[in-house]
Amino acid sequence: MPEFIAKPASLKELWKQLPSLPASRRYLAGGTDLVTADNAGAETSECWVDIGDLPELNGVRETSSAVFIGSAVKVSELERSAPVRKWCPVLLAAVPHFASPSLRNMATLGGNAANASPCADGVCALVAEDACVSLALGGKRRRLPLKDLFSGPKRTALKKDELILGFEVPKRPHTGAYLKLGPRARFGISKAAVALAAELSGRRLTRAAVALGSVAPVPLYAARTSEWLAGRTLSAETAAAAASLVMSEVSPITDARSEAAYRREMCGVLLSRALESLAA
Amino acid sequence: MRPFALKCKVNGLDMEREIPSSRSLLDFIREDLGLKGTKEGCGEGECGACLVLLDGKAVNSCLMMAVQLHGKELVTIEGLKGKDGGLHPLQKTFMEEGAVQCGFCTPGLIVASEALLRRKPDATLEDIKQELTGNLCRCTGYEKVLSAVEKARDERNA
Repeated sequence: MPEFIAKPASLKELWKQLPSLPASRRYLAGGTDLVTADNAGAETSECWVDIGDLPELNGVRETSSAVFIGSAVKVSELERSAPVRKWCPVLLAAVPHFASPSLRNMATLGGNAANASPCADGVCALVAEDACVSLALGGKRRRLPLKDLFSGPKRTALKKDELILGFEVPKRPHTGAYLKLGPRARFGISKAAVALAAELSGRRLTRAAVALGSVAPVPLYAARTSEWLAGRTLSAETAAAAASLVMSEVSPITDARSEAAYRREMCGVLLSRALESLAA
Repeated sequence: MRPFALKCKVNGLDMEREIPSSRSLLDFIREDLGLKGTKEGCGEGECGACLVLLDGKAVNSCLMMAVQLHGKELVTIEGLKGKDGGLHPLQKTFMEEGAVQCGFCTPGLIVASEALLRRKPDATLEDIKQELTGNLCRCTGYEKVLSAVEKARDERNA
């Protein structure tokens, strides 16, 4: 456990406090990953900075072109947010698959992204939503596509002390699905997960974005499959071709949760089911 | 170890206390406050024996730091009471339906069920099942637990 937990009351106070804190420090948002890592001996920072209640990181706001979801918003709050319900169908569909109800009351999307696990349900859904992540370090702000935040399992492009402020999902009318295969129907870590966002004109896909969890070193944006799907008409043939394409884009491994060959096969099955659910 | 000046409300009472930063919420509840109704099962957020209400929402106290309670309201199983100050309606229906065997998971199950019924007074059987996905019971099975929650829901709505 850390020697010290700092709890700044605002972003301004955070940047002021940081230089005086021990160099070995990490941000604490919901705690569901960090405290678990600490209990397992895998987290050894001297100091944690509790950002969970920072007002700047909380709340969901709507601008003319995007929905901004604060990084400290709890996963369970997403279901109650009108802008999320209206503009983020993939993210909304992922919520019931995210851990358990009580962990959803604690876990944040910012923590889900910073932890950078390839199985992160919230992140996968947001990548399919074409989200950008908004970052701050002192007065410096930057913004990048969420899919570019990840460089490997548990590795990100975040600089030391750089803070995730939130996620911007463009306001585009679309539909979507989130399908996850785990050891049981709810509350399990996925063997494979598929997030699909789609803009439809009748049965024609005018735009599609496919993201996958637990089948690559990072939450994976399937660029080739997404591009191939744009302009296609929903049909059994389209689903079968997309399934075989996506299987060539993933790079799953065999580990305690599943086997590489099975995971690859299931990516195809889940994507074709997701496409079928749009057609229904 | 630097202390933290914690201000919060616990089971209806305002509280100010210096705690070590490294205190988990569960240890704060059990060791510092002596409220032993909240249990530690897995310590990994899988079993739900440690559930408490934080600002009315069920959370796993084993995966939270006491610092995260700052400025908020905590209700533990000891804080759940009936209108007459006696047993809470869920405690009664759990007893009536035989939903308790060893009892270790019971506080967490009651806390999770209470959170659900506050949020969704007309919760369906499916809602109850979904809400209790993070609570493990290793002796009674879940049928009697589900009956007990449905009974409490019906009595509340009667």
